[in-house]
Amino acid sequence: VGLSDLNLRVLIPHLPMLGWGALNTIEISALAIALSFPLGLFGALMRIGDNRLLRALATGYVETIRNIPLLVVLYILFLVLPLYGIPISAFAAGVLGLAINSTAFTIEIFRGGFTGVPAAQYEAAQSLGLRPALVMGLVVVPQVFRIVLPSLGNQIVSVVLGSAQASIIGVAELTYRTQSIGSSTFRYFELFTIAALFYIACAQAISLVWRLLTGRAAHAPLGT
Amino acid sequence: MLSSGHLLNYLLLLLRGLTITLELSLGSLVLGSLGGVVLGAMRSSSWRVFKGIALAYIETVRSIPFVILLFFVFFAVPLAFDIDIPPYPAAIAALSVHCSAYMAEVVRSGIESIPKGQWEAAASLGLPYHRIMRHVVLPQALRVMIPPTIGVYVSTIKESSLASIIGFVELLGQGMAIREANSLRNTADVLVAVALGYFVICFSLSQLGRYLEHRTMPQSRQVRQRGGAFRSGSLRAAIAANFRSPASLLTASRRRVGLR
Repeated sequence: VGLSDLNLRVLIPHLPMLGWGALNTIEISALAIALSFPLGLFGALMRIGDNRLLRALATGYVETIRNIPLLVVLYILFLVLPLYGIPISAFAAGVLGLAINSTAFTIEIFRGGFTGVPAAQYEAAQSLGLRPALVMGLVVVPQVFRIVLPSLGNQIVSVVLGSAQASIIGVAELTYRTQSIGSSTFRYFELFTIAALFYIACAQAISLVWRLLTGRAAHAPLGT
Repeated sequence: MLSSGHLLNYLLLLLRGLTITLELSLGSLVLGSLGGVVLGAMRSSSWRVFKGIALAYIETVRSIPFVILLFFVFFAVPLAFDIDIPPYPAAIAALSVHCSAYMAEVVRSGIESIPKGQWEAAASLGLPYHRIMRHVVLPQALRVMIPPTIGVYVSTIKESSLASIIGFVELLGQGMAIREANSLRNTADVLVAVALGYFVICFSLSQLGRYLEHRTMPQSRQVRQRGGAFRSGSLRAAIAANFRSPASLLTASRRRVGLR
C-alpha cells in the first residue's frame, strides 16, 4: 500500500463507523466540559477564599493534576480503581479522567479571572453593604466571566484534543475507530488524514463559534 | 502488592525509565526549538507568504491531537512511503513536530516583546534583517523566552508518556511492563509510582519556571498577579493603607489652595 495508490473508495463502507466515532468524541468531550467548568469555578472560589484548608486543597489538586500526564490519570482510573472494588467502564473512566484533568486547568483560568477584576469593584460592592455572597454573585462573577471567556474556548478545544487519549483505554471514539478500521484495511494514511482533518475542523469551528458567541461580552469594557 | 525483594529492582527500572523520558523530551525540545525559531521568525516577519505558511503550520499542528500525530508517523508514513520507522525515531519526530509549533509561539511572543526602537536603531546602523535578528533582537528575546520554554518542556514531558503506546519504553512504558510481568499480583502501586515520578519532575520544573518568570517580570505586574484584593484581610489592609484622616485631608486641601 503506497502513496501511489491512495484509494478512498475502500473506506466508504467504513464511513458510518467513523461518523459514530466522531459523535462519541463529541459526547465524551461535552460531558467532560459540562463537569469541569462548574467544578472549575467552584475550585477557583476555594482557591481565593479565606478558608486555609479549602485553599490548600484546591491548590494541591491543581498542582498535582497539572503535573501528571492525562494518560497516567486515565490508566489509574481504568486499571487501579477496579482493583479496589470500584468497577468502572472505559467510557466512564474516559469522561472522568478528562474532567479531572480539565478541572485543574479551569480552576487556574477562573482564578486568573478573579485576579483580573479590579480591587475597586470588590470595595465598591462591599461599601454598598452587599453580603459577601452577593458581592461575588452580583458584581464579581459576571465580570470574571467576561475575562475568562476566551480562555474557556481554548480549554474546550484542548478537551476535544485530549479526548483522543481515551482511545487508549478503549473508549470507542474517533481515534479508536480509526485505528481499528486501519488494522483491518491497512489504509492508515487515508484514515489518519481523515481523522486529523476532523480534529482540525472541530478545533477551528469551536474557536470560531465561541468567538462569535462570546465576542461582544468578551470585548465589552470592564467597569473600573 | 510486590514483594520487597523485587521492589528495589523495579525502582531502578522506573528510574531508568524516568531518565529516558527526560532524554526523549529534551531531544525533542532541542529539535523543536530549532524549528520553532525559524517558524517564529517567519510568523513575526512582514512577508505575507512566510507569515501564512508559519501560521498554517502552527494552527494545523496545534489542532491535531498528539496521539494522531504519533500514529501518523508510526503507522501511516511507513506504509505509504514503504520505509521502516522504529518507535524511537517515530516518537522523537512526532514530539519535535508537536514541540516546534508551541515553541514558534514562544519565539514569536519573545520577538514581539522587543520594543520597536531596538529594530529601528539597529536598522539605522545599516544592519541587514538577519543580523538585526541575530545580534540585537534574539539575545534580548531569549531572556523573555526562558520561562515559557520551561512550560513547553513540562508539557512535552507529559505528552511523551504517549510514546509508550507505540512500544517506546520510557517511564510509563517501564511501569506498564512491570505491571504486565506481575499480572497475577495487585500492582496498583506501580502506576502510582509512575505518576509520582512525573509529578516530581514536572512540579520542580514548573516551580523553576515560575521563579524565573517572577525575576524577569516588571515589579508592577508582580503586584497585580499577587493581588489578593478579594481576600477580605488584604482588602481591609488596602483600605487602611489608603485611608486618610479628615485632619490630613484638610491640610492637603489647604496646601492645594496655597495656605500653609
